[in-house]
Amino acid sequence: MEKKNEARLELASLSLPAMIYTIAMIGFPFIYTIWMSFHATTAAQQLVFNGLGNYSHLVSDGEFWHGLVVTFYLYFLSLALQLFFGTYLALLLFRSKRLPGIVRSLFISPFLIPGVVTGMMWLVILDPSLGAANYVLTSLGLPASDWLASPTWVVPTIAIIDTWQWAPYVALIVLGGLQSLPPSVYEAAEIDGASRRKVLFRITLPLLLPTIMTATILRSVDLLRFFDLIYITTQGGPANASDTLNIYGFRVGFEFFQFGYASALMVTLSVIVLGAVLILNQLRNAVAW
Amino acid sequence: MRARSFSVPWFTVLNVIQLTIAGIVVITPTLWMVLSSFKPSFEVTAYPPTLIFSPTLENYASLSQTTPFLHYAFNSVLVTVSSTLIGILLGAPAAFVVSWTRITWPAIVSLVARMAPGTLFLLPWYVMFRHFDMIGSYWSLILTHAVITLPIVLWVMLPFFDGIPRSVIEAAQIDGCGPIKIFRRIAVPLVSTGIAVASILAFVFSWNYFLFALVLSNAQTKTLVAASFNFIGEGATNWGGLMAAATLIALPPLILAVVVQRWLVSGLTLGAVKG
Amino acid sequence: MLDHKWNSKFVTAVFAGAFGILATGLSAQRSMADDFNWKAHSGETVSFLASTNPWTSAVMKYKGDFEKLTGITLRVDTYSEEQMRQRLVTVMNARSNEVDLFMTQVSREGMQFAAAGWYRDLMPLAKKETAPGYELDDLSPALVKAATFDGALVGIPLNIAGPVIYYRTDIFEKCQVSPPGTIDDIAKVAAKIKKCDPSVTAFASRGLKPALPYTFSVLLHNMGGSYMKDGKSNLCSPEGKKALRTYAGLLKDYGPPGVVNYNFYQLTSLYRAGRSAMSFESSNELSSIMENEQRLGDTGVMPLPKGPGGSHPITIGWSLAISKFSSNPDAAWYFVQWATSPKMQAKLALAGIAPPRKSASSDQAYKTWLDKQPVRKQWQQAIDFLAANGNSDVAYPIAQNPVSRQIIGQAVDSILLGTASVDEACKTADEKADALIAQQ
Repeated sequence: MEKKNEARLELASLSLPAMIYTIAMIGFPFIYTIWMSFHATTAAQQLVFNGLGNYSHLVSDGEFWHGLVVTFYLYFLSLALQLFFGTYLALLLFRSKRLPGIVRSLFISPFLIPGVVTGMMWLVILDPSLGAANYVLTSLGLPASDWLASPTWVVPTIAIIDTWQWAPYVALIVLGGLQSLPPSVYEAAEIDGASRRKVLFRITLPLLLPTIMTATILRSVDLLRFFDLIYITTQGGPANASDTLNIYGFRVGFEFFQFGYASALMVTLSVIVLGAVLILNQLRNAVAW
Repeated sequence: MRARSFSVPWFTVLNVIQLTIAGIVVITPTLWMVLSSFKPSFEVTAYPPTLIFSPTLENYASLSQTTPFLHYAFNSVLVTVSSTLIGILLGAPAAFVVSWTRITWPAIVSLVARMAPGTLFLLPWYVMFRHFDMIGSYWSLILTHAVITLPIVLWVMLPFFDGIPRSVIEAAQIDGCGPIKIFRRIAVPLVSTGIAVASILAFVFSWNYFLFALVLSNAQTKTLVAASFNFIGEGATNWGGLMAAATLIALPPLILAVVVQRWLVSGLTLGAVKG
Repeated sequence: MLDHKWNSKFVTAVFAGAFGILATGLSAQRSMADDFNWKAHSGETVSFLASTNPWTSAVMKYKGDFEKLTGITLRVDTYSEEQMRQRLVTVMNARSNEVDLFMTQVSREGMQFAAAGWYRDLMPLAKKETAPGYELDDLSPALVKAATFDGALVGIPLNIAGPVIYYRTDIFEKCQVSPPGTIDDIAKVAAKIKKCDPSVTAFASRGLKPALPYTFSVLLHNMGGSYMKDGKSNLCSPEGKKALRTYAGLLKDYGPPGVVNYNFYQLTSLYRAGRSAMSFESSNELSSIMENEQRLGDTGVMPLPKGPGGSHPITIGWSLAISKFSSNPDAAWYFVQWATSPKMQAKLALAGIAPPRKSASSDQAYKTWLDKQPVRKQWQQAIDFLAANGNSDVAYPIAQNPVSRQIIGQAVDSILLGTASVDEACKTADEKADALIAQQ
């Protein structure tokens, strides 16, 4: 009994530093932001308590709802693209076992490059008048696109850029999952003489589902808070076609100085992300094997 | 073994074609950036885009004149390495405990910081660090960047600890070892690959993060990524300098990835399935 | 005894006072020169939050001179405009003394920052300790007025800038058109150019939502429109609608693809590459445009032509402000007066910083610099016109000016993108702006 207590104490002392640290670092910002969200900010930057005023304003704020729609549109589009291309790339790399390590790392390189850098890089490449992308397209006789400057195409374009950057990350995770699949199932399939396609869709992909769900959770956390790339490229434009919740909240705070309302927006967004993670986590547990 | 049965020639050819296309898509934008960094500044946005040009090192040479580039690089290294270390020191034992006890809430709590928009933290952290008179000190950056590295380490390490055979631990327990001793003497040596993988990923994410440094650093402690914004300004836009800086900033994570490519994949293998 | 002592003190004071007045009367300059001491704050440190800008890079070349002259250590932290503002807002919200000095665009954030109480009134500092020959009155009165809120001078102008049209003289010649004389002419000229040389963009200007009010405002004022009338938003007035229609129309019919995202750097890249015939952009961009000297021989510069409402160009500039929370405003003021002195501004002018001082713009060395290239001369002429006739009314004259810029930008962009008619766009903008005005 005493020994058990001692062990418990030791376990606590191993995990407590991390817990204390995390709570110390994120506890205050959360409490501060929630507290701020119950206040209005005056022009003189004084806080005035207004209860749930910010939240009731939020419900009637068209730009909030617009931001929510853009956020989820971008989320589903990017997620679908990244899961598809990530899994595809992983299967491709898995089949190419003899690929030298350095070439392999080139395939996963995009997510290692800072988002600031990729944002500015794509801004130059996708410029409708001067960029290389349209130059290549028109040289090949294909129609040019306005990319980030088109209200219809801006969200897909951002999704494409983000997919370029993060599909390799998904691929890395899926590749890990592939390598740990038990060989026995394949041997059985081989004996049955199943076709390659059948093996992929009936065996490999279903077995990969938990791995893909992990990738989904990790990407969801980032995609729902989409910020960096839009901050650098369009700042929510053209007009407000790429105005995600995070970008809108940022602008309300740091450009408009309404930190009370901005806090309410950020709290709401955090709750949305948390909710999504909890739901996805349940889903993952359901498909685990 | 299974793979061999599929490697009929037509299939290999198809595979190579797909790999080539994927490779071109993945690498071209980065290549364009690197190429641009060797162009005179005005030529970066020239039209039609130039593929053949007389390369210049001017952009790289001017970096150290226009910005204290080496100083910022030092700041970045210091902040990234320190925050990665903190992440490992705090995250690895926590992962061990989560794996041992199967109590997962600490792992979830550590993720909460990642669920909130980064801008949520800016103002409160500034207020907090100012209270402790730590604005403009490296500590404010190291401590906030550790908030990014800690959950990465915890989540990546978790499956590695899970992978240690239960029998090994039980044997140690019978010998009278407590959890701390088991962690230090047995578990850590067994998960060295995991520590390497976690360090690399933590390094990359910390190195690339700009938002906190934008507000919490000053001229003395500014990191490279935060400084990379300085190349655009009305009447002062320097595309060449930006591309050169971008190339140099991207280099350390890329080199690391090449070096540890093997571990990275095998490390995430475990992480993906059980994490 | 006591009385005696007091008396003698009194007498001395009276005499000193009388002499003082006399001396001031004879030569104000000399009396100040005698007591002004550049080394008064030697050993102190001031921190300066700067924005990436030609002024910053030019003045920082002389940083060592300042430190040598005053013994003050100057710590400079430079960010591009948006990131600088983000940092400043955080610092100020925490009422931190971390930043002593900062660059500010009073036309944009002046009222907002003044209302928040972030600026320190510079007048008392200027009256207390100013080096001889500083000449506050020599600074552009329009810019000084724009930097004055409720009688407090919140910033000293660093440069003078405003939107001007850069145009290609060779294309104009080839297409046999002359520079537009009125706003309506712009479309006519652009149409001819489009017909004669379809490979170039006939007219380009800002389309990015928060950035376009800078250029749009000139057009609105020249049309005879205004943002506010009788305390109400006035965009749906006939003049306002015409301005919206004209600006969006010019960009739609003659602008480059993707113009809706255009800010200064795309405009400059496009013009520099020889791909636009007219570019309505900040006068600040001249040095960027001339970077590879390709446009040196074929560029003309002019203000936006007049419209039915006359000619009311926008004239703004960056200013140097001292933070209300600075714990060392006196030393900070030493930097302000050094950096904005006639001598310094004359020096900076040679680096292409249009000086906000009469004396500096008529300086001989500057004149020689201007004479070196015809385009510089035209550029300075345009700026002289801006300085003489300009106002700084970019967007609504309210504390929430930055929000109002989004509203105006949204109105123009929705017309440009065809998602709203002029009537719908101006109505939405008026409603939103009225709500903002009511908040005030």
